[in-house]
Amino acid sequence: MRVSRIFPIVLLVVFIPVHFNIISYVSQANRNLANGDEVNVLLPSPILKITSLDYDGLVSDALYFKAMLFYGSTYVGEQQRKIFDWEYTWFYNTLTAATDLDPYFLDPYFLANGVLGWEAKRVAEANLLLAKGSHYRNWDYWLPFYLGFNYYYFLSDNTKAAEYVMQAAQKPGADPFFSVFASRLAYKGNRTENAIIFLEGVLKTSRNETMRKDYKIRIATLKLMLTLEKGVAVYKERTGNNPEKLSVLVEQHIIDRIPEDPYGGEFYVDNDGAVKTTSDLRYMKKENSKK
Amino acid sequence: MQLLWPIAIITFKEGIRNRSIYGISLLALLMLLANFVISGMVAQEVSKVAVDIALSAISFSGLLLVLFVGINLMAKDLDRKTIYMVMAKPISRSQYLIGKYIGVILLITVCMSLLSFFAAVSLLLIKFGHPTFFQRFSWLMVGLSFFFTTLMLILVAALSFLFSSFTSTSFLTFILTIISYIIGMSLNDVKALVEAPQSVGITVSPVTVKIVQAAYYVFPNLSLFDIKLQAAHGLPVPVTYVIGIVAYTMVYSVIVMTMACLIFRKKEFP
Repeated sequence: MRVSRIFPIVLLVVFIPVHFNIISYVSQANRNLANGDEVNVLLPSPILKITSLDYDGLVSDALYFKAMLFYGSTYVGEQQRKIFDWEYTWFYNTLTAATDLDPYFLDPYFLANGVLGWEAKRVAEANLLLAKGSHYRNWDYWLPFYLGFNYYYFLSDNTKAAEYVMQAAQKPGADPFFSVFASRLAYKGNRTENAIIFLEGVLKTSRNETMRKDYKIRIATLKLMLTLEKGVAVYKERTGNNPEKLSVLVEQHIIDRIPEDPYGGEFYVDNDGAVKTTSDLRYMKKENSKK
Repeated sequence: MQLLWPIAIITFKEGIRNRSIYGISLLALLMLLANFVISGMVAQEVSKVAVDIALSAISFSGLLLVLFVGINLMAKDLDRKTIYMVMAKPISRSQYLIGKYIGVILLITVCMSLLSFFAAVSLLLIKFGHPTFFQRFSWLMVGLSFFFTTLMLILVAALSFLFSSFTSTSFLTFILTIISYIIGMSLNDVKALVEAPQSVGITVSPVTVKIVQAAYYVFPNLSLFDIKLQAAHGLPVPVTYVIGIVAYTMVYSVIVMTMACLIFRKKEFP
């Protein structure tokens, strides 16, 4: 056979494996380069609106997916989340941009509430987005309901909380339990119990697996805290004082043992007799769990 | 009209035979298939994302149709000199141009109807899979958005005729049409930005503001045709708006085509 016939075949046989080697080396090397996180790039909303031409809705979807995938990727290990404060800022900005492009899009508001409210404890930002959502989606009852709950649980503003939940109760198709819940919120007590009721209501409608997982663990933890709170109440009835430590409850045979916090923190009782946890219902980073 | 119709029909037939249409349709179908995967990732508003993707896929493939098939139909006659054969017939240049335009309108309408049908099927299947997440979904609004996209493409096609009446190559027409499309789509937002630049912390000179305001009246305002957001959320669009848009398309196309005819009459063929 002539050389000119074999030569291209030899060339391909040699170069195709080489190609695979090189591409895997280069992409590995590229990952090790020192550069900023691609995830942090975000254009201001007015510019985004111009550059997205007539695909505003599509860009809004893409930004939402980006935020969601980013949040999903912050799990490191089973119950560990690695996320920096500035990443939450990016997260908030991205969801703001997504809802600037399409202010009627429900999912970013839900995501913002779950992550910024519960996880990052940046309730003010979560509330800003929820208020924006309830303004545009004036037929929707979930957004004012969430807003009301945030005012109640995180900001201890019962008046505003009851106001928003009542607003939610008046929307078409709202769950009848909203109005009952609104009247419950008007009183100061039963914070933990109300939070459980709220989260179980949310869990019923949530479909996002990451968020569902978060909610389930949160409910489980709050239920443990509720048991402890009841124990503290029994102790107070018997002795007239708040217990100094939770271990006293075990000594008095009110509870069998102090349960473990699923978030990796430790339950304790503060001076007013309220049961709290060192994890503050967030996954604790192992290295500073002793804090 | 009797003279226009044969030209329109032959233009339509020539367009439908173009191989690019297969490619564009395939792209649209792939985007509609991707819709099944993507909308499944959404937790709450499946309908919104599904409608977004379906409408955007149709609008994008329609634009490709105008740019790669529509422009070619006009340019081919000039490039291959087949226009001499037509010019030898007892038919004026304006009649020839308008006949071609009607053919392109026919082509756009037929292709868009076909693509919209496929988009509707994909939406129907997704709706069947997630019935509880389609509460605010409205076929009327989705259909209206398809209709508006078609009108928008007809307007862009008119612009491409204007450009091809004075440019010497189809490539130049292509570039000018794309630029006008981009300007037309972003005009509203650019105007809003230059009139209130503090929102992104920039300063804009008064001259720029004047230029943008002038462009606002010269270029077609294509973002008026974009009702994807309303369609995605089932928000109402008044009938008067629909009438206004149809009137706008007609008036603007007539102006542009008249100008194209005026220029084309004076054009010297190589």
